[in-house]
Formats: sequence, structure tokens, C-alpha cells
Amino acid sequence: MFTGSDNKVAIVAGAQTPFKAAWADRQHVDLIGDVINGALKGTGLRIQDVDFVIDSGSDILDGRSISNCGFLGAMGAHQKEESRVEEDGLWAALYGATKIGSGSAEVGLLLAYSKPSEGSVPAFYWSQCEPFYQRPVGFGQAAAGGLQAQSYLARHSLSDEIFADVVAHDWANAARNPAVDVEAAPSADEIRSSDVVAAPLRELEMARQVDGAVAMVITSERVAERICPDPVWITGIGTAMDQHAFSMRERDSLPACRAAAEAAYKRAGIDDPTTLSLAEVSASSAATELMVIEALGLADPGTAAQVYGGDGPAINPSGGALPADPIMATGLARLHEAALQLTDRVDHGPDGATSAVVHGAGGVGMQNHCVFTLEV
Amino acid sequence: MDTKAAAKKMEMRGKGLGSSVTENPVFPGRIELPYTLTTGRAAATFLAELANHKIVGSRCPRCDGIFVPAQDFCAACGTSLDEFVEVPASGKLSGYTETADGLIGLVRLDGATNDFPHKLLDTQLGELKLGARVEASWAAEAEGSILDIEGFALGGDEGGEVKPLEPGAEPVLEQKYEMRLDYAHSYGPYYGMLFDGLATSRRIQGTRCPSCERVLVPPREYCDVCYVRSGEWVDVADTGTIKAFSIIHLEFVGQTREPPYVYAEIVLDGSATRLIHTVAGIDVEDAKERLQIGTKVRAVWKGGDPIGSLEDIEYFEPVFED
Repeated sequence: MFTGSDNKVAIVAGAQTPFKAAWADRQHVDLIGDVINGALKGTGLRIQDVDFVIDSGSDILDGRSISNCGFLGAMGAHQKEESRVEEDGLWAALYGATKIGSGSAEVGLLLAYSKPSEGSVPAFYWSQCEPFYQRPVGFGQAAAGGLQAQSYLARHSLSDEIFADVVAHDWANAARNPAVDVEAAPSADEIRSSDVVAAPLRELEMARQVDGAVAMVITSERVAERICPDPVWITGIGTAMDQHAFSMRERDSLPACRAAAEAAYKRAGIDDPTTLSLAEVSASSAATELMVIEALGLADPGTAAQVYGGDGPAINPSGGALPADPIMATGLARLHEAALQLTDRVDHGPDGATSAVVHGAGGVGMQNHCVFTLEV
Repeated sequence: MDTKAAAKKMEMRGKGLGSSVTENPVFPGRIELPYTLTTGRAAATFLAELANHKIVGSRCPRCDGIFVPAQDFCAACGTSLDEFVEVPASGKLSGYTETADGLIGLVRLDGATNDFPHKLLDTQLGELKLGARVEASWAAEAEGSILDIEGFALGGDEGGEVKPLEPGAEPVLEQKYEMRLDYAHSYGPYYGMLFDGLATSRRIQGTRCPSCERVLVPPREYCDVCYVRSGEWVDVADTGTIKAFSIIHLEFVGQTREPPYVYAEIVLDGSATRLIHTVAGIDVEDAKERLQIGTKVRAVWKGGDPIGSLEDIEYFEPVFED
């Protein structure tokens, strides 16, 4: 998989809690215990067989410092090699896959979780902003989203009407996905008439934060062949981060996402990503979801809204991040979803899917990007 | 946020598009982190010169960009910046949006290479256009903050020029900052059972691991060591044994008791885990002499109605056998 290494890395199992607005009757450790146990179930692996645990979460969202220390027991990491990634869970997968790819370990547990309902999401993003120039003027995740949306529409001379169809597509998919709690998917008209919260973006055009956890088991080829009839192979990984200063970045596109995708495609030998079966992507808003689709090479700039439901890769069959954004777990949830669809374990994936591109992001205005490619 | 407000928030969240959320008791938490931020040379100069109604930028010798507000390093090429310039207080609008925090614009001052975000004043969303002229509106009193520019209002003439800075103000070398974060933590079924027991009958309960047979307090679903599901609920005593202790003289942020006091790890009779609490009912000077690892203790419960917290135990007092 990686240059200079013949070691293949397999996804062999995963589990997630349902994603919903608030898991008010469960603690973090309760959610974590459920998915770690769920991921190992049926693999024949015991906790003793696990070489390492890499977990992704946020101290700011959790409301405690070095929160992984307190959650260690629930994640099965007692006296194990454990490492915390203060980034989206797809980076936990990146570090885990690199570890197995290097040949230094064979069985890894990946975990990502969050309970944004317990704290303040604006404060979480605020904490990532620059304290002298950005925080005092009210710049944060909402403002970044609004400015990106305005810039995207202006650049391509598009109307803000296009966002509602994208959102309606994703929510309709989420409503078919038993892992996402959706009472009734909003129609495009309902989306267009929801409140403007970051002009031109409306409330339903922003990602909905949810509580939940997801865990995955990745292994070496040797282990996968013994325990798993249908492993999903990681064929490429790329990551790239843009400048911290939001105003210095491109606002109508996501060049760091493009760089991450190009690195992953190069490793996987993918020349034309539009031939992939499906794409599971993260986004802070309808506007940035369109920019991600374009950065992944699935649509030309300004045309992403037209490729939903088209002949190319199925986009966010799970619903993606707009109906369910468990901050910190969003990207790992995309990886888990893609693996479920590629192994036909869920009904909402495209028929006969054999390959996928998976995307995770982090930071204010999606500063940081990680891309995986998979095949079966 | 108090408990009521937190519960209200949960209720409001439940009215979203997902299914409704039953109201659960929550544990309110607040983290207050006091900082004294070091501004660095560029921000120190920028923030100071606002008092003189000057907007300071940095010129990059390598890419020739003018970056506003002033920066110590070029955001475009990483070069260390040490040449300050004064830029005009007017420019044009490169972007704008409206959020719950008000109108915010990206402003490109005349002669500057980059945009920066600030508040937009005395206008509304419908009046704004990309490229519109804007000018700084100054606060009546300067406090060494970016908000010494209250914001930008529509207007302002073109033709201002970037010129070398003639510094006149004492740099603002430090800025006080406080981050306050409020939480409404869920108890979950295991802590919920423990705290309900404390609230209703001053009962301390743990769970027993079927594999190693240790009783775990606080109770939890999985035994940390064996990673098997604990099953049986067990009552443990409010008496126990000191396994470690320290007399705390230091003061620190977040402290709930006034030093000096005795902090101890106590294994309650019938449990296998160490509970962190305080030992009192003994003079601190005596504690130094008489407390030992192995000293027996018993809980002293607070009077009145219990609240369902480990704080219902006021402290543990030593029980000397001699």
C-alpha cells in the first residue's frame, strides 16, 4: 500500500451507536463501551489480541482535560499502547493504518466519539480561532460557512437555491439509514424556508451536530485472511492542511482537500475518481459539501450540485455529515459507512459497489482534510 | 449554565428533526480558564497603535505583500516580518455574512494584500454589496483590543496610501483572556444508579467484575482490566482504608476546599478501587503524625437532604484503633 511497503491494511469490522441530537441518558463511556464491544463482536478477536487503540475526541467538547485518560477503561485500552488524536477520527484511521502498514502491529482498534449536546458547539470552534484578531469580532464556524457559501455562489454565478436540493438529497438518504435518527426528512421547500443563520446559508443547510460513537477494527492482511470473509482494503490515504488564517485561504474551493485527494488517488493508482462506486464525505454546510465533491475530482468547479443522483459515484448514501455530524467522529463514521456498503451489510448502499472514496475534515471553515480510498 | 437551563437546552435540542429527547437530569459543569496571552511583537504594535487611530500592517520583504493586521510571520510564504507600515483605515468589502453574532465582513484595506474579518456597523444585509467601500469606525475609548475599531461602516474615500509606521504607542505586550465553557453532562445508567442511591438513601453502590471479582466504584459497564461486562450491583460500606494521602498546602484554580487539607485515596470496605476524597475531623498537624497508609476511615455525611453527589460525604474521618 505505502511506498516501500507491501503490507496491506484491512478493515474487518466496525460498530456505531445511532446518531441523534442528544444521547441524554448515556455518558461518553457508555457510548464508547458499546461500540468497542460491538466492533470486536463476531471477529473472533479478544481484547488481548488488540495491539493498539487510537481514539479521537475533543477535550473542549468533553469538558475535561486529556479526556481519553478517563475513558481508557471503556475503550479497552488498559495497559495497552493507546494514543489520542485531537482531530477527526479519520486521522485515527490514518495513524492506525500507517502503523499496520509499517509492519509494527497487526490488530488495531480505532475509536471516535462525541457528545456536542453537552457543551457549546460555537465555543468549541471559537476555541480554535485566533484570540487577538478573530475571536473578539465574532468570527467563528458559522461566519466561515456563510463567507464560503457567498464566495462559492459569486464565483460560479449560482443562486442559493441550489443548496436546498443537496440538503434534501442527504436527509432523504439519512432517513433510509437506520443508524441516523431522523423523524422526517425535510423537503427542499422546508429547507428553503428555514431561518437564515449564516447568510446566505439557512439553518437546515448547516451540518446538524449529533451525539454518537463509532469504532473499527483494522488488521494486517495475515490476520484479515484468518478472521474475515470479506475484508475492505485501504488502497490510498492522503491528508493536507490549509492556512490557519481563514481570510488567506481560497473561499470558493478547498485546495487542501484537493491535495489530500490527489495524494490518496496517487497511492491507490486511481486516475479517474468518477469511476468509483461511492463517496462518503464530511461537510460543515451544503456549500462546503459541494466544494468537497469538486475537490475530490467528482465534479468540475461550480457543478457539484448536478452530480447528485447521476452516473458517477453515489454521494453520501448514508446521508453524510449534513444530517448527522458527530464532530470528531464524522470522518470515521464515513469510513465505517463506506465499509458497510462495500460489504453489503446495509441496504442503503449502491448495488454492486466495489470501491469508495472517504473524506473527513477538521478546523474552522474546514481547514484540514483527510481522504481514504477503499476497495473490495 | 445552571441545571435548569441545561435541561431546557436538552429539551430544545430534542425539538429538532430527530426524535424527542426525554428530559434527563444533568450534571452542570463549568470550566473557567484564565490566561495572560503574550501578544508577540506584531500584535503588540497593532493593538497599541489603535489608540492613535492607526491601523498597522506588516510588509513581507520576500513576497512584497502587506498583511493586515500586522503579523510576525508572512501567512503566504512564512518569512519573518519586521517592517511595520500604516495602512489606510478604509477599503472595500470582500465578503460578508450575518450570524447570531451580527453582521461580519471581510475587509480589504486599501493597499493590503489580504482580507480580515470584522464587524459591520450601521447597515443591514440587504444594503451590502461585494466591493462596497467601508471605513473604520473608532471606539470612544481605546483598550488595546481589536475592538478599538468598533467595526466598519459603509463609506470612505479611495486614494489612501500605505506609509511607513511612525510608532508612537507603548506596545500591548499582554492581554488578559478568560475562556469559560459550560456543560450539561449526562449521568448515564451507571453513574445515575450510584448518584440516585446517594440521593435517596446514602447508599454507595459498585459493580462486580465476574472475571476478577473486584467491586468497582464508581460502577461501570466494563471492567477496565478484564474488559468483560460487569453485572452484579453490590452495596459497599461507607467505611474504608487509606491507601495514599497528601496534605495539600498549594492553592490552585478549580480548588473546592481551602488549604491546608488532607487529600486521600480510600478503598471502601467491600470494594477494590480507590475513591478520591478528603480526610478531616483531625487537626492537619496531627494528621501528619498519625495518618498512615492503612488507617481506617469512615464517611461523615452532610446534614440536610442529600443532593446525589460524592459531595454528600463531607469528608472521611480517621478511626484510630488504639
